[in-house]
Amino acid sequence: MPQRLLALLFVLPALAVIVLLFMVPLGASLIGAFESGEGYGIANFIKVFELYRWDVLFTVMVVLLSTLLIGFFSTAIAGYLTLGENPRAVAVLRWLYRWPMFVPFIVVGQVLRTFLAKNGLMNNIFIELGLMTPISATSFLDWRGIVIAFVWKQVPFVALLVAGAMASIDRGTIEAARNLGASRLRILVEIVVPQIATTLMVGLVLSFVTMMSVLSVPLMINAQSPTMLTADIAFRINSYGDYGVANALGFVSLLITAGAAWIYLRHSVKERA
Amino acid sequence: MGEAFLKLEQLTVGYGANTVLHSIDLAIRKGEFVALLGSSGCGKTTLLRAIAGFVPPSGGRVAVSGREVTQLPPDKRGMALVFQSYALWPHMTVAQNIGYGLKLKRRPKSEIAARVAEMENLLGLQGLGARKPGQLSGGQRQRVALGRALAIDPEILLLDEPLSNLDARIRLTVRHEIRALQRRLGITAIHVTHDREEAMVMADRIVILKDGHIAQQGTPEEIYNRPASSFVAAFLGAENRLLLQAERLPGGSGGGIGEAVRIAASPVSAEALLPLAGRDLQSGPVEARFRAEAAELLPAQAGTAPVDGALTLSGHVTAVSYPGGQWRHGVKVGEADIQVDAPAAFAVGDAVTVRIKSGDLFLYPTEGGASRLAAMPPEGVGKRSAEVVEA
Repeated sequence: MPQRLLALLFVLPALAVIVLLFMVPLGASLIGAFESGEGYGIANFIKVFELYRWDVLFTVMVVLLSTLLIGFFSTAIAGYLTLGENPRAVAVLRWLYRWPMFVPFIVVGQVLRTFLAKNGLMNNIFIELGLMTPISATSFLDWRGIVIAFVWKQVPFVALLVAGAMASIDRGTIEAARNLGASRLRILVEIVVPQIATTLMVGLVLSFVTMMSVLSVPLMINAQSPTMLTADIAFRINSYGDYGVANALGFVSLLITAGAAWIYLRHSVKERA
Repeated sequence: MGEAFLKLEQLTVGYGANTVLHSIDLAIRKGEFVALLGSSGCGKTTLLRAIAGFVPPSGGRVAVSGREVTQLPPDKRGMALVFQSYALWPHMTVAQNIGYGLKLKRRPKSEIAARVAEMENLLGLQGLGARKPGQLSGGQRQRVALGRALAIDPEILLLDEPLSNLDARIRLTVRHEIRALQRRLGITAIHVTHDREEAMVMADRIVILKDGHIAQQGTPEEIYNRPASSFVAAFLGAENRLLLQAERLPGGSGGGIGEAVRIAASPVSAEALLPLAGRDLQSGPVEARFRAEAAELLPAQAGTAPVDGALTLSGHVTAVSYPGGQWRHGVKVGEADIQVDAPAAFAVGDAVTVRIKSGDLFLYPTEGGASRLAAMPPEGVGKRSAEVVEA
């Protein structure tokens, strides 16, 4: 089988990269999660539960809420791009909505930190407009800030995917509904979204996983407790050199993202059946 | 013709600087089945979409039983459109597809279910209500699309090439099904198609469109036997084309046949005297069109003598084929290639005489006159040739 061997040889470099740069470190940190001063065991996970259980909950809630809002806003934007009847408004929106995609998370964090702070731009505008008094101004630099940052950054990405999917569905299905008297909102909810649900789901799962791994935004916006797991992992490593607990925290994040992936896979299997 | 139910006045539609429909005037009676016939790009689908309200006209008006609907949205016009792609909603069942229009009208569930069952019975979709469109055959999908349109009880049914995605055999049955259904419901229907036979079989009246204008309208029999222009003649199968010299004769001079036209003798055609029979002709070059099946093919020696009231041509056979029924012959007549059917086959190379009776011969003044006639290159037989002439 010289030809088969040759084929294997061609695949080998790619395989080696995946194994050496991805599988091995992942395996090492998975094993590391169960490794502590007293040998192998779940000591690290007990520590995670004692110290970080509220952070786990906080992370899941923030990312879930962000995912829901991303789904809502991206569907609204893509829906307007598909069904909008004012060509100028559609053109402007099409030009505008993608920009946040090109802004790095760290910059998003920086921008929103100055925008959302107690004396930040947002509150100043509200105060100038007479919508609130300086006393009642509060900082948004907590979970709300993280959600706003995530949504602002991820909506364009999902909207791009969803708008592409919406553009490729048969226009006739939209016109047939219009012909029967459906409003644009009904067409979006009852005709268009069901046809692109899989794409929306893919976009949301990808966003979910991305948000689970962002460190800069919680560090910049939410310098308090509870915070997100990424900030905790960085803290364990940088302040304590405690790789065991950091790995255990990583393992927990992996379980959460795996949960999202499982929901997606189950749905796509059901679609195909 | 009774009073118009659907009336188009000076309807003009354009995309940007490009005008697709040029002030179309059309009046359609209640219960009439009208086919919009034309080749692709002639504006027939745009006309249907403008009637339906999906394309805003740049001028003119659309009225339904005296009520102007030009500016109304598609759902306020009492019309339902059946799309070429059927455009069924893939995530809904057959019953949900059919019942959606009624759901939008907030009808009670029991009423919707009854109407859906009625439509399923009417269209032979019993037992398929729970299926998704992806699990249906092409013909079934087509009927679901029809059911969805008819469920809301529209006054006017618009059909955008609804048969073009079906197998040839199914298409023939569905033609009759749609026509029978339309008769039974007494609904006014406008059917867009590029298929001549489909239009002929289904419609009460055919409207032939060309480059955004109405080229001719009339009953199938009228447009088939009296095509108003060379384009219409070619579109309806009279694809054989010859250029001849004609002389118009006043009444009384044509051997007692009233006003007449004399076709001058040429190397390939004998002199012929034909009744004018309402043709719009002056003396000069004319374009002759006729169908392959309308001409008679004879051996050269037997048919040489010209016959009154018929055009006689001489040529030789260049090709023979058997498409079924009759033998089809390619015949070279001078510079022109024509096709002629005959019950028995001639051999390639045989000298033959082709005879076309006056009633089967369509004559039109050539547009460019004599100078253009001389410059015109010889053309093959086929659909294209008509378009070249018209261009």
